[in-house]
Formats: sequence, structure tokens, C-alpha cells
Amino acid sequence: MKYAFFQGCNIPIRIQQYATSTTAVFAKFGIELEVIPEFNCCGYPVRNVDEKAYILPSVRNLAIAEKRGMDILVICNCCFASLQKAKNVMGKNPQLMAEMNAILAKEGLHYSGAAAVKHYLTVLYEEVGLEKIKAQRVNAFTDLNIAVIQGCHILRPREITRFDDSFVPRITEELLQATGVKSLDWRGKLECCGAALEGINNDLSHKLLKEKITGAQASGADYITPICSYCHLQFDTTQKNILAVASGEKLLPVLLFPQLLGLCLGIDEQTLGIATNSTIAIEDIQRLKSLLGPPVLEKKKKKAKVAAL
Amino acid sequence: MNFNILLGLSAVVCLVGLIIRLSIWFSQEIRPSTVPTTPVGARLAEALKGVFGALFSAKIFLIIKSVFVDLLFQKRIFDKNSLRWVAHTFIFTGFMLLLLMHAMDSVVTETLFKGYQSTLNPYLFLRDLFGVMVLAGVAIAAFRRITLKPQRLKTYASDWAALVFLGVIILSGMLLEGAKIASPSKYQNMVDEYASFSSEEDAKALEAFWVQENGLVSPNVKLPPAPELVAKGREINGDSCIECHVSYRNAFASFTMAKITPLFFSILGDSATVTLFWYLHIISCLAFLAWLPFSKMFHILAAPVSLIVKSVTGDQVREPSNILTHQMIGLSACTHCGTCSLECSSNMFFESFKNDFILPSEKVQYLKKIAAGKENDPVILKRMQQGLYVCTSCDRCTTVCPSGINLKELFVSARYALLGQGMPETAMLSHFSFPLALAQNFVDDHLQALKKVTDIFKKSFQHLADMALPMTLCKSKDIGNTTFRGCFSCQRCTNICPVVRSYDNPAEALGMLPHQIMFSLGIGNTELAMGAQMIWSCSTCYLCQEHCPNQVELCDIFYTLKNGALNKIEAGANS
Repeated sequence: MKYAFFQGCNIPIRIQQYATSTTAVFAKFGIELEVIPEFNCCGYPVRNVDEKAYILPSVRNLAIAEKRGMDILVICNCCFASLQKAKNVMGKNPQLMAEMNAILAKEGLHYSGAAAVKHYLTVLYEEVGLEKIKAQRVNAFTDLNIAVIQGCHILRPREITRFDDSFVPRITEELLQATGVKSLDWRGKLECCGAALEGINNDLSHKLLKEKITGAQASGADYITPICSYCHLQFDTTQKNILAVASGEKLLPVLLFPQLLGLCLGIDEQTLGIATNSTIAIEDIQRLKSLLGPPVLEKKKKKAKVAAL
Repeated sequence: MNFNILLGLSAVVCLVGLIIRLSIWFSQEIRPSTVPTTPVGARLAEALKGVFGALFSAKIFLIIKSVFVDLLFQKRIFDKNSLRWVAHTFIFTGFMLLLLMHAMDSVVTETLFKGYQSTLNPYLFLRDLFGVMVLAGVAIAAFRRITLKPQRLKTYASDWAALVFLGVIILSGMLLEGAKIASPSKYQNMVDEYASFSSEEDAKALEAFWVQENGLVSPNVKLPPAPELVAKGREINGDSCIECHVSYRNAFASFTMAKITPLFFSILGDSATVTLFWYLHIISCLAFLAWLPFSKMFHILAAPVSLIVKSVTGDQVREPSNILTHQMIGLSACTHCGTCSLECSSNMFFESFKNDFILPSEKVQYLKKIAAGKENDPVILKRMQQGLYVCTSCDRCTTVCPSGINLKELFVSARYALLGQGMPETAMLSHFSFPLALAQNFVDDHLQALKKVTDIFKKSFQHLADMALPMTLCKSKDIGNTTFRGCFSCQRCTNICPVVRSYDNPAEALGMLPHQIMFSLGIGNTELAMGAQMIWSCSTCYLCQEHCPNQVELCDIFYTLKNGALNKIEAGANS
């Protein structure tokens, strides 16, 4: 199994660990992620300026995948939503599709909609499956509280993203549970990290971010696990930029989902790039590893349940 | 004119050019107004301090490594594209070896190799081999420029000029050699100087052999020459000539040219043809020398410096004056090869906005003018500003640049240098601002420039709070999304909005609340909706849209309003 790996613009230069850890995790399940150098920006950054200019880059990316006969696997929520939006618009607007195909034809590309767009969590959940993931674990966490922030553009608008139930998402929750962590029920889980306003309205952006940080901390989170790369940058970079250490504010460290899962699959922390997360200290990694143990308990429970039935 | 006079002249022009280009390194800059300026002397001193600091430290090993890996092997090109590497290596190696072995033979080759004669192997063969290498490289480069045009590779006349120059130098050299090979007068001169025949028959035999074997075109020999005469000539050639002159067939390319050059003999005569090609060869070489510092060929000097600086500093230049000098070295090292534009993540925005300056390679060309203070046309500057801003900060250009130019630093500095001149940039109100805010460079410049756009936004639209008369109903306009018609003002959107929740007095801070904007669209007042601060404060979390009981696509409509508002501001700025 092989996917065209769509990393977007932020991940290759600012969050390489997201790509390397995802690649390592997927390799464990025999899924290869091929980096396609021809991919360009998904279009998301220009959406405030011009909707057509926002759609075109994703159509080109889809056409590139189509030419290679591959489906696209995405790890950034905003890239995911942009690609899905482009597919949706192309399906509804044949005139625009013709217009964009004329532009693509110059470089020998054509969009017909053959390539599918999949979020990496969907592939883990639906194609690999929880059973296989659990079977592959060499370790699982105990006593680790994780506040996950889903990121807006993976869930909403639901008719475009088609990822999960947008009000009660299950995929992320169940995948997290497979690592043995406790996924906290907290207020900011489905809300905005403020990234879309960063650089445009910093005060508001930081207010939204701080609200999430304090919210996660108040609910007892050891780590925050952002699914979207923009959320990651908000928590891993902007948080440090705005943190008022002097007034006693505490840093909320960030751990990406493939890093969590990777540790359970026996992948070493260097490959997972855990130390590259700027909010994580060496002591954190030591403590994390000390929380790992053989994943036996859950299996027993399951068997017991089956027996009870 | 005497060769030495021509050489002297072109050398002087080249030298003056080099001095001008090098002085630019320390005198020009791309500097946001908040970065302090440094006088030329101080910049030069600081740069020299850096150079000596690197030379007399462990960094010398980095420099040595860079010389082999980056300069001689050109690994940065090799890593990206093997065909390009072949082209560049052929041109670079072929030309350099020709320069040393052939053009400077009296200085270099004769000193290094005892018994060097240009008419002996391997030199006779190598000269043609190196020439063919350059020609092959030029051909690949031309092929690349033509075939990559649809992938947004821009080619200027100056790019073709460089390729044509190289081609003419090599071809004229081969034609010159071909003319010499075929020329009967050249042959006669050689015979007069070196040969002494025992009989007329011997002279005829040797000439017949040279016609048969060495490409000579002689009116004295009937074609085809008699085999026994050729055999005798071969014997004489073997006894007397071969020690100093191997067969011209070794000069395989020129030997082929020798079949073309006789066509000129019939018009000009053979001596004049040789002279013509000599002039063509010498003048093209010397003109190239004179042109070099004024063209992109200056990269021969600047790119190695840029690459070594990159290997030593890792693009982390700290001293502010050295940052400016590094910028100028970078600009002068650009070969307009277009690699950055081919890989630019914003390439599709170029297709949408039809603005060349979105492509990094095109930005660089104009940054040279801006650094020199030669670009003052506000229309061009405005397009340049947009080009600089419509960038995803993916840094691919910087990663792939074969000359090792720190493009991202150049572009960020240029962005704020231009923004500081006061022209508002509507693209600032987009997510292109996100990575800039993250990096925290030029924070104050960013906020000042942002204020200019937001002020214009406020001025361009009427606001709900300023309206005295009651609003009237008019026909609702088609904004491309009609779902607002389903709004029945239940205010679910406003109640769920995390932005509304963030303010004590949201109506005042946001101008209008989400449901009010839908209402405004419903009664046909699109302008009022477009002018609400709310659309720029929207975090695009889509909660409103998801929770709307009547499928009003609020967040999508906000995007449409944002697009419309920016268009209106741009139209106002251009009128």
C-alpha cells in the first residue's frame, strides 16, 4: 500500500517530526508514504484574498496524484480541508473545472477527480484498524492525561471534510485510547487554536490560544495533542512566544499523535523526533518512557467482556 | 588591431566591472527602516573580520569541504536534478579546462607539462573534447529553458545571451581550427617552415597524404589521390611530421568543421577565412571577458562566495551589517536559473494573480534594482509588494537555490522594507501573515503595516454604529452564496461563536455580530456586511455554520465578504 504524502508548507520546514513520526508509524503497518516534490501549497493561505486562487492549487495537487495513479494522504487539517473543498467545488462546478484544467493542461496535468484525499487518522482507523494497531503494540501508556485538540478544519464543515461526526468525533478518541492514554474531556477539544488570526489580529489569536492552554491545564492535561499542524505551531511555538514566565505561567507541552502511537509501537524517540517539539524537555521524555508498559490489561478485559456476552 | 591591445582593453573593462560589482556588496542593501544603517567602511571592516575569523578557526575545514563539495562537485545542483548537473558540469569543467589548457597555454600548460605542443595528443584531442563538452552543456541548458517554459521557468534575453556567447566562443574556435586544417596556405606555411623535401615527388606525396588523412583541401591534388602516392606520403609523414603533429582526425570536432570551412574559401580565399574566424573567436572571447562582471556570469565569482558563506554560517549571520552584505552577495550570485520558481509552493498563485513577482527568481531580479534605488515606479513596486507577500514561507526556494542564496531572509527584509514605504498591502489580511508572526521578525514593522490596511478597511465602508437613518430593504445581491436567505435570526451562530465570547462588548468590538451580518445580507445591504470588523476577526472555526439549524454557510459567506472587501479596497487604491 502506498500513498502520495501531502505535507503542505509548514511541516517540511517547521514540523519535520510530524512527517517523520507519521512515516515511521505507517511503515510499521506496511504502508509507504511517498513524498511528491511537485506538490505545491494547498491554497489555504490565500483564502481570505481570493476563493478561486484558493481552489486552483489543490486542483493541481489532485491532478498530480491522479497522474501518478495515487491517493493522497494528508497530515495537516487545513491542507486536508482545502483538498476536500477543491474536490467538492470541482464536482459542483464543471465550468470552473474546465477553466482550471485549461491552466493545468499547460504543464500536462488534468483533473478528473480520480484521486481520493484521506486524513492519516482515517487511514489508521479504517484501513489499518484498531485491532491491528492494538496487536502491533509492544507498549501502552498508563497514567497519562492527554488533552486532544481536533482542529476545526478536519471536522467542519462536515459535508466538505467528511471526516467524522463533527459534534461527537470518535476516530481520534478511539485511536488515542489504543495507546492507553486517558483522553480528557475538556472544553477546547473541538474549538479554535487561534492560528487563523495569528499575524492578522494577534490579540484575539493569543486570547483564543491561552483559553485552550489554561482549559487543558485545568482539566489536568499532561500534554496537549494537536491534530492540525497549525494548532501544533500555535501550541509549540506561539505558546512559547507569548508565555509570561515571570508571572508564573506554566508551559503546556505538546506531543503529536504519531509520536504517542510510535512509542507504543516500539519506535525510538529519536525517529519520532520528540525532542524536536520545542515545548518538551528531556525530563518529560524520561517520564513519558517510564509510563510505558506491556499492553496486557486491556486484552484481558476484552476477553472477559466477550466471555460475559 | 593588435591582440594585446584588445586583450588589455577587455581586461580593463572587466576589472572596472568587477570593482563596481564588488563595491555593491558593501554599499547597497535591502533594509526595513527599523534596521540601523551602516557606513560602507564599517561594513567592509565587519565583513573582513568575519572572513579572517573563519579562516583562522576550525571553520577553515568547512571552507575546504565546501570548495570540494559545493564549488567543484556542485552538490546542490546534483541533489536536485542530474540533467542540470550534467549541463552545468560540462560547461563549467569544459570551459575552465579550455581556459587553462588552451587560452592560457603559454602560462599554464607549458609550465606544467614538458613537451607541450598544441598539435600533439592528448592536447589536440582534449581541446576538442572540452569544446564539445561545453557545447553539449549549452544545448542541454537551452533544451531545459525551452521545455520548462510551461512550468513557469522565465527566460530573459540576457539568459539566452549567456548561452549564445558560450556557443559562439566554442563554435568559432572549432571553425577557426577547421579553416586552418583545410587551408592550403596554412599547409604551405607549415611545409615552408619545417619541411625539406629531397624531391618534388616527395612533396606531392606528403600533400596527397594530408589531403587524404588530415583534411587538407588542396588545388594541387586531384581527388581521389592515388593510393601509392598516399602510401609514400604516409611514410614521409611518419618519418618527419608525426613527432610534432599528430593526425588532425584527433581534433574530431574541428576535423568535421574542416569539411564546412572550404565553402568560405571559394568566396573569401582560405587565408582570409582563417583570419575571419580568428577575429570571431578572439573578439567573442574578449567580449565575454568584458561582459562577464556586468552580467549573470558574475556568478562565477559571487556564487562560490555565497556558497562558502552558507557553509560557514549556516545562514545564521548575526552581525547586522554582515546580514546586509550577505544579502548583496546573494543577489549578485543569482544566475536566474529558475530552480526556485520551479519548486515554489506559491506557483499556482502566480497563475491566479498573473504577477511575475510571485515567482522567487523574478523577485530577485527586481530586488537588485530596488537595492540600487533604481526602481521607483509605484505600480511596479506595488506588484512587487504583492509578490513578496503572496508567499507561504515554506523556504523551499532557499533550500533548493544552487547558489546558496538566503532567499528567505532577502524576501522577508524586502517585504518589510517595501511595506514601510507606506503602500498598504491587502494580502497582509491573509494566512500568509501566520508564519511571519510565528517567526517574530520585524514585529513592529508588521503591526505598523497591518494598521495601514485595517485603517483603509475601516474608511472604505459604512458602519452600523454610524448609521442614523433606519435601514431600508432592497433586493438582496448575488454574492455567490445564497444560503443567508435561510436565516431566521435565531442567533445560534452568535451564541456559539468563540470570538464573540472573547469580548466584553462584542457588538462594539466586532461592528456586527454573525447573525446581524446575515440579516444585513438578507435585506440587501452587502456593503454594510462587508465593512463589519467581525469578518476579519472570524477564526474560521466553522462552529456557527455547523450549528446553524438552517444550513446558513456563515463561515463560507465571511470568506466571500472578505474577498469582496479586499477587491473593493484594491479598486479604491487603483482609482
